[in-house]
Amino acid sequence: MFYILLTESEKLHITPLKEVSYLQEKTEVLLPSLPLSVALCLLDEISNKKTKAERSTTFWTRWRKGEEKVLKRDRDWLKEELLKVLQKRVNVSQAWHWEGMESFQLNSEEKIRDKNREDFQARTAGRLLAKADLQRLGKECHIPYAEVLFLCHEQISKGYGEWIPAVIKDGQGWRCQRCGGIRVEEWVSIYGLTATCVECTVLGAVSSLHALYRSIGPPDRNWVKDIKLVFSPRWELSKAQRLASQDILKYVQGDSTSECVEREILLWAACGAGKTEVCFPATAWALERGKRVLFAAPRQDVIHDVAPRLQEDFPDLQVSVLTGISPEHFASSHLVIATTHQILRFYQAFDVIFLDEMDAFPYYGNNALAWGIQQALRLGGKIVYLTATPTTESLDKVRRGKMGLIRIPARHHRRAIPMPEWRKVSEALEPERFSRHPSLKVWEWLKESVQLGPILIFVPKISWVNSWVDLLQSEFPEWTIAGSYSSDPARREKVDGLRRRKYDAFVCTSILERGITIPDAQVVVLQADHELFDVRALVQMAGRVGRTQENPTGSALFLAAGKTPGMEKAMAWIREQNEIALTQGLID
Amino acid sequence: MARDTYSLWQDLKDLVRSLVYEKQTNCLLCDTSVNGSQVFCGVCESAYFYPRLMRCSHCGKITEGNTEECHDCSQGRGPKGLKKVVAWGHYTEAWRELIQDVKFKSQPYLLKRLGQPLAEFAIHHLPPPDVLVPVPMNAERIAERGFNQAAAIASLLHWELGVPLWEGLQRVRTTTPQVGLSRQERLHNLDGVFRMPTAEKKVIQGAKIWLIDDVTTTGATLEHCAKELRENGAEEVYGLVLAAGMVKS
Repeated sequence: MFYILLTESEKLHITPLKEVSYLQEKTEVLLPSLPLSVALCLLDEISNKKTKAERSTTFWTRWRKGEEKVLKRDRDWLKEELLKVLQKRVNVSQAWHWEGMESFQLNSEEKIRDKNREDFQARTAGRLLAKADLQRLGKECHIPYAEVLFLCHEQISKGYGEWIPAVIKDGQGWRCQRCGGIRVEEWVSIYGLTATCVECTVLGAVSSLHALYRSIGPPDRNWVKDIKLVFSPRWELSKAQRLASQDILKYVQGDSTSECVEREILLWAACGAGKTEVCFPATAWALERGKRVLFAAPRQDVIHDVAPRLQEDFPDLQVSVLTGISPEHFASSHLVIATTHQILRFYQAFDVIFLDEMDAFPYYGNNALAWGIQQALRLGGKIVYLTATPTTESLDKVRRGKMGLIRIPARHHRRAIPMPEWRKVSEALEPERFSRHPSLKVWEWLKESVQLGPILIFVPKISWVNSWVDLLQSEFPEWTIAGSYSSDPARREKVDGLRRRKYDAFVCTSILERGITIPDAQVVVLQADHELFDVRALVQMAGRVGRTQENPTGSALFLAAGKTPGMEKAMAWIREQNEIALTQGLID
Repeated sequence: MARDTYSLWQDLKDLVRSLVYEKQTNCLLCDTSVNGSQVFCGVCESAYFYPRLMRCSHCGKITEGNTEECHDCSQGRGPKGLKKVVAWGHYTEAWRELIQDVKFKSQPYLLKRLGQPLAEFAIHHLPPPDVLVPVPMNAERIAERGFNQAAAIASLLHWELGVPLWEGLQRVRTTTPQVGLSRQERLHNLDGVFRMPTAEKKVIQGAKIWLIDDVTTTGATLEHCAKELRENGAEEVYGLVLAAGMVKS
């Protein structure tokens, strides 16, 4: 909440603090305090009126009455006008009034310990924070909320921050300044029409009555001088990875203000080609130059998987991990690893952003998050999108020259990625119908596959999982079989079991299509022509096969009555990848 | 332009949907789909509203026993000066969350769908009122929040039942929030907090009043408001709240 202050010299200020030391004169305050948007609006209206009124105060009046009296008269006029304008806006009887402030703390600035100030500056640099965030920040740094506000105020007076209304109305309608969302719920407050953003409520709802603190960070001090960056990779990049990592480094080093370098680039890697580590050399280069780097992914498990890998390769660097469940929310590190939702709390904070799995839920199709990424990027910053299965939109951007493209077409073991095969099954694969008319071919194929390793059996519907587990169990009583799906409470245990090679067959929905490596896994997709299985899902599922040095081959079977365009495209993608790899000499 | 097109597209979609399908809505508390006019699903209804359980005739809390009055009230520790209080639901989990989202997270629009079922509950449990009076909020808090949730609830009933709404009661003093105070402290914390301007007393002369708030714990707030209303000429005051605790007997 914000106070409107009126000084003796007739200046108006908006501040969240009643006690402000910089005003070395007698001040009056309008009580109770107001939402930022209302206070701003009032001052706007009043400044229009004021210029008119000032014009009518002639030199003669000033001379006759004396400067003091004119000032007092003008102040009284201002106070009254402000109240009038306010009463006109507010649609209930509410008692606003002016109060004099005789005493104000002069020493609060000195009282704040330097450590608190530094802590605060480091943690708020490049941030966009709502009241609840600032309160949490206070708790994290052990600073009382009033002091947090004072520190915000101090930054603002130096030009390093600003208060902005969280939801604003422009010529085209409402827009949330945190997530860029335009979907709001309107309601009538005492100040008139008000809007609450419904797109970022997971971060704590904000409305047009709320304010956000936005830091416009001072240029980073050259921090590397006191911390020596040690980059000691525990791995050796394959040739394919090395080529890509050189390209990424070149891209990150490039001057993005020149027209030939794009702001965004797409790293299209084959499934299991190891795209994460490819970004580390560029990360090291950027960090060494005092730049800020963000590694973001839509899902928490990816973050918790990548964080220790980065930490191992940058042993002396403090890495901040921000997810919905992480204990710390404000960290001062130059390397931040975060889920995509956390990005909405940053503003012009990073020079380089790596966004992993850009085609996955909930990032893909979420305008707020896409907007947030752009907001979090500094001017002249660069974004690298990482994926094994790019969306049509991003490929389109590449085609139109709006986005660069770097590919990693081969896995580190220098063997071609196994081509998925379509196997025609005319019988229905829906479990109940299949149990009545089983296809003997299917049992045969499964028996062949299991010779090579445990089979991941993908089904399009949750309701199929348990039925297929039962069907398989009665056909193959000697096999150990389990199944799981997203809302399965025992999911984590079962997936752990799968990693420990406990099962011969594992039936699941798309939950295992990404990220997981089971050394000698084989893949069977039941009803691969189902509409849920698009090209990207199919490529990801087929990509579970042949991922390790010891087991570079294997089989991926698409079982369906017919071949869909999605299936054809998936096979074409993998074939093309292998061809590129072959011509570049990346596979044997 | 793009945004106009977007909202036009949304409107069109809604229109087509309303022509083609029966209106599909979700339970306000758990998001499972329910029939057109329903607000809560069966599970939530029985988990938070206990339509079959009695309310203590005095403090309005849901009681698990068969007695008319809960233990506290029969010992004379209930709110005084009110004919009766009723709580609609149990202040717990999803129902509490919703009330807090309304209050603290700027989402008063979540109340929108409650008008009809709340009105139905209220007329079932309370005699018809002449006027609805929301429990007032102090100036600072209303300036910050932008609305008084009690007034928002009262206005739902006003639209639903056509009973006049009167916001003449004022909270003249800032108080420590009741949360965290002991029972005794709560009762005295509110002494002299509620007042009303003399000019407006006419409306409540001899009137039956529904005094409306979001949540009640000890009933102290309702009690103090009722006292002020009755001293200024109200005939009978009934309390109505969205939620309260639950008592054993």
